[in-house]
Amino acid sequence: MNIFLNELKAHRKSLIIWCIGIIFFVVSDMAKYAGLSTSGQSLNELLAGMPKSLQAIMGTGNFDLSTAIGYFGMLTIYLYLMATVHAAMLGANIISKEERDKTAEFLFVKPVSRSKIIFPKLLAALVNIVIFNIITWVSSFYMVKIFSKGESVSSDIASIMAAIFILQILFLVIGSAIAAVSKNPKRAVSISTGILLITYILSIVIDLNENIEYMKYLSPFKYFESKNVMFGGGLDPVFVVLSLVMIGVLTMGTFVFYNKRDLNL
Amino acid sequence: MNVIEINNLTKTYGNARGITDLSFHVEEGEIFGFIGPNGAGKSTTIRTILSLIYPTGGSAKIFGKDCIDFAPEIAKEIGYLPSEVFYYDNMKVIDLLKYSASFYKKDCKKRMNELVEIMDLDITKKIDDLSLGNKKKVGIVQGLLHEPKLIILDEPTSGLDPLMQQRFFDLLLEENKKGATILFSSHILSEVQRLCDRVAIIKEGKIVTVEKISNLKENNYKKIKIETRNAVDRDYFNITGVNDLTFKDSTISFLFRGDINTVLKKIAEVDITNLWIEEPDLEEIFMHYYEKED
Repeated sequence: MNIFLNELKAHRKSLIIWCIGIIFFVVSDMAKYAGLSTSGQSLNELLAGMPKSLQAIMGTGNFDLSTAIGYFGMLTIYLYLMATVHAAMLGANIISKEERDKTAEFLFVKPVSRSKIIFPKLLAALVNIVIFNIITWVSSFYMVKIFSKGESVSSDIASIMAAIFILQILFLVIGSAIAAVSKNPKRAVSISTGILLITYILSIVIDLNENIEYMKYLSPFKYFESKNVMFGGGLDPVFVVLSLVMIGVLTMGTFVFYNKRDLNL
Repeated sequence: MNVIEINNLTKTYGNARGITDLSFHVEEGEIFGFIGPNGAGKSTTIRTILSLIYPTGGSAKIFGKDCIDFAPEIAKEIGYLPSEVFYYDNMKVIDLLKYSASFYKKDCKKRMNELVEIMDLDITKKIDDLSLGNKKKVGIVQGLLHEPKLIILDEPTSGLDPLMQQRFFDLLLEENKKGATILFSSHILSEVQRLCDRVAIIKEGKIVTVEKISNLKENNYKKIKIETRNAVDRDYFNITGVNDLTFKDSTISFLFRGDINTVLKKIAEVDITNLWIEEPDLEEIFMHYYEKED
C-alpha cells in the first residue's frame, strides 16, 4: 500500500500536465470544427480531392467532416497517440526509474519481494491511465456534444474510449516489460516510445499499401481504428482477444524478467 | 552463531570485474571489517548477499537462511547504508524516513527521532537540497531506524565531517553493544582499525586474508622518514625489521616492522631536523600480504 500511494504521488504532477494537455487539445480542435462547420460540405470535397497517401497520413479516413462526431473521428488518432505515448512512457518509467535514479539500493533492500514492489507500481500506473482515459472521455463527450446537432454521440465516444483503454494497457505493459528486460534503465523509456512510433508508422504504411494488409496484427494502431469502431462498428473481438493475450503475456514477462535479472546499480 | 556465512560466492559480469570463490563468515555480535581498494569487489559482495544482484556460483546465508530464497524475510533485520546515497529528490527528509519506516512492521518513530537528534538532521528540507554529507546522514537514519540486527555499511564515512564521523562511530558501537552485528566495508584502514574486531582483506575479487585486527596491527609496518642534519652512514639503520631503506639527499626513509622502541632509540642518537612516522597506506599492507604469498 505504501508503494502504491508513493507512486501515485510521484506521478501526480505529470498526470495533471498530461490531462491539461489532452483537455486543451480536445477543446481547441473541436473549436476549430466550429469555424470549419460553416463550410462543412466544401471541406469534405477538399479532403476527398487530396491524394490517398496524404489522407492516410492525416488520418482523415472516410469521416463525414460536416458532422461534429465525424470531425471528432478524424481527431481520434491523435488521442490514440497521446494516450499510448503516455502509457508506454509511464510503464517503462515506473519500473526503470528506481535504477535510473539510483534509489534501487534503498527500495530493494526493504523486506518486500520484487514482485510485491512491481505489483503496486503497475497498479498505480493503471490508476493513472484510467484517470487519463476518463479525462479524455469527459472532455471529448462535452466538446462533441456542444457542436452536435442533437444526434446521439455517447455510444460512439464510449467505444472509442474502450479502444483507447485497451491500447493504453497494452502499451503500458509493453513499456514495463521492456524496462524489466532492459539492463540499461536509461534506455527503457526511449525504446518503448520507439516501438510505439514504429508500430504507428507501420499502421500508416499498411493504409498506403493494401498488399501488406496482413501485417496489421503487428501494429496495435490497426486493431481498433476509429472508422471501424465508431458508427456501431464496435471492437473487433479478434483484436480484443489478441490484445488481452498480449497484455497477459507482457505482464507476466514483466514479473518474470524483473525477478530474474540483476538490478543495475 | 554466524550471522553471515559466505561460501565460494562467485559473481562474474560478462568479462570484467566481479568476485571469485569468496568465503568468509561474520559471527554474531562482532564488527567485521571488509577492506580493499576501489573495484576490489566489496560492493559486489554486499549487493549479492542483499540479493540486489544474483551470484553466478556459490551461496551466502544470513541468519542461517539463504540470502536469495529468503531475501524479504532476512531484510526485516538488515539495515543497509550504500556507498552512494540517492533518494527520491522530490521528497522531504521526513517523508522519506516515514516511507522507509512504513516497510517494517513495527513502530520506528521513537528510534527515528532519536537518530535524527543524534545526527543533527534537518527533516523539513527537501532531499534535493541536501549536501552529500547530509544525504549520508539521511542514509544512516533510514538504515538504523528499525533497529536492525545486522548493519551493513558500504564505505559509510565518505562525505561526513570528522565530528559526524565520530558520532556515527559512537552510534555504531552503541548498536553493537545492544547486540547488532556490523559488516563495515571501507578502503580506509584507520577507520576499520578503530572499530572492527576482525577484518577480511579483499583484492581483485578474492579474499587475501581474514585476520583479527590485533594480529594485523602486530604485523603492521610503520612508514618512517627522517631528515638529518649530517649525512648518516648507510648501514646505521640497517637493523632487523627495516625494509625498503632509501637515501635521498638528507632524507632517509624506510618501512619498519617490529618493536618501535628499537628504532626510536636509533633515531634519537642522530641529529635530525624532521621526522615523519606514518601508517602505511592500504597499498603497502597489500604489498605485505603479497610478499607473504610469494
